[in-house]
Amino acid sequence: MPRPPPHHPVSPGRRRFLVGLGGLLLATGLGLRPGLVDANLDPSRLRQSMQRRYGQGGLAVLEEWFALLDRLRGADLQTRLREVNAFFNRRVRWVDDIDNWGAEDHWATPLETMGQGQGDCEDYSIAKYVTLKQLGVPGQQLRMIYVRARIGRSQITQAHMVLGYYETPGAEPLILDNLVPSITPASQRTDLDPLFSFNSQGLWAGGSEQSRADPLARLSRWRSVIERMREQGFI
Amino acid sequence: MSLIKQLWLTIVVLLLLAFGGSLFIGVSTSRHYIEQEVQIKNADNANALALSMSQLDKDPVTIGLLMAAQFDTGHYRLIELRDPAGEIIDRREGSERVEDVPSWFVDLVRFEVPPGRAVIQDGWRQYGTLALQSQHSFAYQSLWQSTLALLGWFALAGAISLLLAAWIVRTIRRPLKAVVQQARDIGDRRFTTSEEPRTRELKEVVQAMNQLSGSVRDMLGRESERLDQLRRRLQHDAVTGVLNREAFLGQLRNGLESSGRQASGTLALVRLARLGEISEQLGHADTDALLKSLADSLDQLGKVRGDGVAGRLGGGDFALLLPGNLDPATVGRDITQRLQLLKQDESRVSLGLPSALIAYSQGDRASALMASLDGALATAENRGDLAQLVAEGPERLPLFTSHAEWRRALEDAMQTGVYLGRFPVLDGQGRLLHLECPSRLRLKGEWRNAGVFMPWISRLELDAALDMAVARATLKEIARHGKPLGINLSPASVRNARFVLDLRALMHSQREAAAKLWLEVPESMVIHDLESFRSLCRELQPFGCRLGLEHVGREFRRISDLQDLGLAYLKIDASLVRGVDASPEQQTILRGMATLCHSIGILAIAEGVDSLQESELLYELGMDGVTGPGVRQHDRPGG
Repeated sequence: MPRPPPHHPVSPGRRRFLVGLGGLLLATGLGLRPGLVDANLDPSRLRQSMQRRYGQGGLAVLEEWFALLDRLRGADLQTRLREVNAFFNRRVRWVDDIDNWGAEDHWATPLETMGQGQGDCEDYSIAKYVTLKQLGVPGQQLRMIYVRARIGRSQITQAHMVLGYYETPGAEPLILDNLVPSITPASQRTDLDPLFSFNSQGLWAGGSEQSRADPLARLSRWRSVIERMREQGFI
Repeated sequence: MSLIKQLWLTIVVLLLLAFGGSLFIGVSTSRHYIEQEVQIKNADNANALALSMSQLDKDPVTIGLLMAAQFDTGHYRLIELRDPAGEIIDRREGSERVEDVPSWFVDLVRFEVPPGRAVIQDGWRQYGTLALQSQHSFAYQSLWQSTLALLGWFALAGAISLLLAAWIVRTIRRPLKAVVQQARDIGDRRFTTSEEPRTRELKEVVQAMNQLSGSVRDMLGRESERLDQLRRRLQHDAVTGVLNREAFLGQLRNGLESSGRQASGTLALVRLARLGEISEQLGHADTDALLKSLADSLDQLGKVRGDGVAGRLGGGDFALLLPGNLDPATVGRDITQRLQLLKQDESRVSLGLPSALIAYSQGDRASALMASLDGALATAENRGDLAQLVAEGPERLPLFTSHAEWRRALEDAMQTGVYLGRFPVLDGQGRLLHLECPSRLRLKGEWRNAGVFMPWISRLELDAALDMAVARATLKEIARHGKPLGINLSPASVRNARFVLDLRALMHSQREAAAKLWLEVPESMVIHDLESFRSLCRELQPFGCRLGLEHVGREFRRISDLQDLGLAYLKIDASLVRGVDASPEQQTILRGMATLCHSIGILAIAEGVDSLQESELLYELGMDGVTGPGVRQHDRPGG
């Protein structure tokens, strides 16, 4: 069941921050400079991560994903959007975080999502976001949008997240949603009510130059996912 | 570079590294931390503002108000809103004021914090991008303050560390200096020992050097002991241990011929009468013991009285030579006292111990003196068991009759000036080592040599005054012609701390001349008062003068005690030198002495050399120099 991300106290992160600060201090003292992070996809590392965490089943999905990337390379934008949306909507079963991860709100990386074969709304959005970026869609045209969703014709609303494609910054976006199989312009989604949007712009750009052990990354949920993706071999 | 300098350099470099390093790390860590905090604040505030703006009407007044409210109540440098096309919708900017911080410091640390960015939604569309930068000039100030505090602390800690280091270096330096001094001494063949320092490495070095010094000392001790045994066999009576007839008469002749202080004094003869009967009654061994105790008693008296020498002339006849003791009556009383004791101690037989005395002075003939004494002794023997006679010497008019007259005359003479005799001491190549300068004083219109006035100098305790006058005259002479001169000091002067200080001051005022001065004291000095001699050496050696002993013979075995004094030379007594060409034993002894002296860097000089042949032989035996009646300087350049 999607719900707005609750506000978490920062104390566990603070501790990690301090540990990281200590490490950084040590590294600075020793005159080390962290190496630059490779900004490209690293298939072998991804396979290793998947193999280690989810075994053959996960690996099979990953190979399908690689095949999808290969297939869509050079395809037109509409095809890419449609195929990516369909791939994750098909492959990933919707499930609440609490059942999937044992935590109220867990933001999973695409690898985790594919490996589990299930996820909730933000996991779909993140996976689609990463895949489209991988297929060459510019990052600034993709935004993850917090929306209020009305279920059916009832007045019941729920917190939900979708991925929006903006052709230009001021344009009306196309919505990639796991509740609806097709991609539709935002104006036709009267069941959704946008609240706020974000993407990795700035984070990603800065991210490639920053230390892998940047303690700031652990502070925000979004940046934490980005950091984990980097570890698993995305980006 | 010296070890101490290297130590200091290391300490300073280490301190700079430690303090500079921690300063650098401290500042860069704080800088990094501040940057991160500001970055988080930028990002979070941008998102929070964008989030609330997304929920509101996009009326320019509302948007402007919201931005103004955020900007005015918060701590921002810049809040900027641009539409999706990049055009500025609204912008609030504060000045970047950095107070109380030097600009070079700001340039040095210069925070690089990217602005926080967030997009404002207007429904599905993007309304604009918000960029937000927090005010961080305060951070420069706090970083500057903490840098100053760190610097202050480092200065304090550095000062304390340096003080500590200085203390440590000093504790190393002191024993190190001692070690270096000892090594230098050993280089000069002065085998000194020194206290072991606490530092382990230095301790090991000192232990090794002490061991070396110790073994050299042992070697010296053994060798000189061996030589002394040889000498004793040659010169001493086997039964009583005092000098034998030849050695004693040789000593007497040397005294009479010398122009020094031994040239006058008292000669005594003591006889153990009826030796045959005593031997029959007591047996051989007890008789020998009796003879020995008589000899010991006389020898002891000789030592008490100064440079006295006892000898056994044969049978029960003993002789005692007391140079410098002018009054036979006083000496006679001492002798009678001792003989009485001996007689009382011997209860088995009644001892006859007659004695005779005579005053001698320079120029007397030994044979004549002995003949007079023999006659007097024969007379005394007839008079009683402890009878004593003072024999009349050759007719001699005393120069002065009373103490007061002597004192005035001597003081006047010293005032007038000291005449210095000159006897060359030559080395193997005939070069001049130095000129021996026995002093002469003008008394009653004539220059008199030491044999005449020396006993009176001692008796009136004018030694220090005379030696001082001689030293002054000698230094003046050296300054005039530049030749090295040697003088002797009397033991009484050396014992006089005041004299040593005066002499030191004198030499200090004439350093150049002092370096060419050779100072010697009689051998007996080092037996009676080694400490005074040691302090003399300590005080005077820094001036480069050479210190030595004269008339060395009987106490040569003490050389192992002297090896650390830095003696320059030993003058070997004429009694060992005279007749060396005829005596293989003497040659052995002299060769051994020369070798031992050389092993510890001391020159060996032979005294009383009578002829050119003798001096040739002595050089062959290893002597470094010769002096005596047979040694004349031919016009060769002085050394």
